[in-house]
Amino acid sequence: MTQPSIEARGLRYAYGEHLAVDGVDVVVQPGEILGFLGPNGAGKSTTIKMITGQLRPDDGTVTMLGMDLASHRAEAQSRLGVAFEEKNLYDVMSARENLRFFGRLFGIKEVDVDGLLRRVDLADRADDRVAGYSKGMRQRLMMARAIVNEPDVLVLDEPTDGLDPVSARAIRALIRAEADRGAAVLLTTHDMHEADELSDRVAFINEGRILAEDSPEALKLEHGSRSILVRVKGGAGVEERRIALDGAETAEDLTAAMGGDILTVHTEEATLEDIFVTFAGRGLAG
Amino acid sequence: MRPHVIAAIMGKDLREFSRDRFFMVMTVLGLVFYVGIYWFLPDTVDETFTVGVAGDPAIVDALTSTGGGDGLELVVHDDAGALEAAVADGDDVLAGLSFPDGFVDELMGGGTPTVTVYVGPALPPELEPALSAMVRELAFAASGQPLPVESLPEDQVVVGEDRVGDQVSLQQQMEPLFAFMVLLVESITLGALIAGEIQSRTVTAVTVTPASVTDFLTAKVVFGTLLAFLQAMVLLLAIRALGAEPLAMVVAIGLGSLLVTGFAMISGSIGKDFISVMFWSIAFMLPLMIPAFSVLFPGSSAAWVQVMPSYPLVDSILDLNAYGAGWSDIAGNLVLLAGWCVVVVFVGWAALRRRISVL
Repeated sequence: MTQPSIEARGLRYAYGEHLAVDGVDVVVQPGEILGFLGPNGAGKSTTIKMITGQLRPDDGTVTMLGMDLASHRAEAQSRLGVAFEEKNLYDVMSARENLRFFGRLFGIKEVDVDGLLRRVDLADRADDRVAGYSKGMRQRLMMARAIVNEPDVLVLDEPTDGLDPVSARAIRALIRAEADRGAAVLLTTHDMHEADELSDRVAFINEGRILAEDSPEALKLEHGSRSILVRVKGGAGVEERRIALDGAETAEDLTAAMGGDILTVHTEEATLEDIFVTFAGRGLAG
Repeated sequence: MRPHVIAAIMGKDLREFSRDRFFMVMTVLGLVFYVGIYWFLPDTVDETFTVGVAGDPAIVDALTSTGGGDGLELVVHDDAGALEAAVADGDDVLAGLSFPDGFVDELMGGGTPTVTVYVGPALPPELEPALSAMVRELAFAASGQPLPVESLPEDQVVVGEDRVGDQVSLQQQMEPLFAFMVLLVESITLGALIAGEIQSRTVTAVTVTPASVTDFLTAKVVFGTLLAFLQAMVLLLAIRALGAEPLAMVVAIGLGSLLVTGFAMISGSIGKDFISVMFWSIAFMLPLMIPAFSVLFPGSSAAWVQVMPSYPLVDSILDLNAYGAGWSDIAGNLVLLAGWCVVVVFVGWAALRRRISVL
């Protein structure tokens, strides 16, 4: 069996009296993308801080690439790439200087800056100061910085938050490429479509606990309901009929609908958001 | 700790510092300003007390024939009007004594002639009674009568180092203040750099790499100390104030730089932006400047000033430059200053580490 790239077991962390993370397990295999989904305050960021070595867990262990993070922090972090939600770049420095600096922290003498910037479509702005970058450009540079050391583990916190569709698509392609290279990716996002599209598995977290964890398809099949929406032209105008595909009377309903003057037919399946609501009793936006 | 990581962070700090126009202007202008002011200040101490005399030739001639005395110069004026004008002008003559015509004869006859004492605006108040005493003694001498009380034999005991004749010029008085001002500006700079890293959370990006918080803090201490030290040394070289023991001065300035770096770490961990860092830096530094000001106004400082962390630094700079002190003379100060450095850097380190840990 392959050794997991990230293996966190029984993580607990409390801010004073408030228990932010309560017995969370996170396992990500090489080449796998795990979507980590939950509303604000669910414990995502605290879990990520423990996994990246920013916080020491009150209880539990984090093993990265077979190394215990508590005793081999520097070695583990040398193979880790992180993109934060905050655009924490050095504004007075150029993209090239930012990447070179972080490369040096990893002990890389010659960073392939141009190659990295080409991957995020910033090669033509390599020597401009970051202070003049747009939000999308900063986010793309954050991604380039996260992969400056060709990491085996990539932790991405809301990597496409607030980006235009073109930039978001470019970053998703980069994330997929890194996973294909073999990197284990832990991804937090509010965008359910993004999680659905990118993640091999998703984990729902709420009030510091993992509620469910599986592939998006499996979760939808197991916990969602499938239906089709048929719009039919009738005597009183256009009628909409929602027909459950898993119901006992599906065949009869479909036959009835086919007898009318059908305008459109749409398949409907549960979204990850719907499934999260069934587990948590609340939406992801809150 | 990893030297290549610390070097990389220091290089990045230098780049940030050099690209900030405000820091650069403050640094360069500050140095130019202090050096310029320094060379305009008088480098000698004029302790001669000039008194004008006019009136009865008998007493005036007798006085001038004695030649005044140590630190006392007598200048004869034609009449009381000229004397009054010279004293009022205040440039050369600090005070004047005008003796009425027939002063000596009247005294000899048992009379009480009136001597007019002109006091100039620049005359130190403590010397006014001395003028009156001088007139009284002259009166007794001119009348041939002995003083009512004979001068008692004195046994002068100098407590501490005898610094008669070692008066400190204004230039020398300002040296510790200028050096401290340079260190103050650099502490604001470092504090702002630290606060900027915390606010933008770039420190988090750095510490999820193999760079540890210890590497980060070590880089700040070394960079801040070097930045302050180099500028203070440039200033002292420009004003030729390295003293008779340049190495001792280097050590004193090095410790002073470390001390202000510790305060910069505290203000950087408290401040949220440049303005608040400036506020906290000045809040820390104003009390620390008191010892430097006390050199400007001798006698104004209380004993508690010697407890200030900056006192051993200021005292060392003054002793090395103004009094030609050596290693043995300032050893106590250096030990005390090193002790303060340990305390302040420890507090700054702990405050900054705690601030980073809760980001």
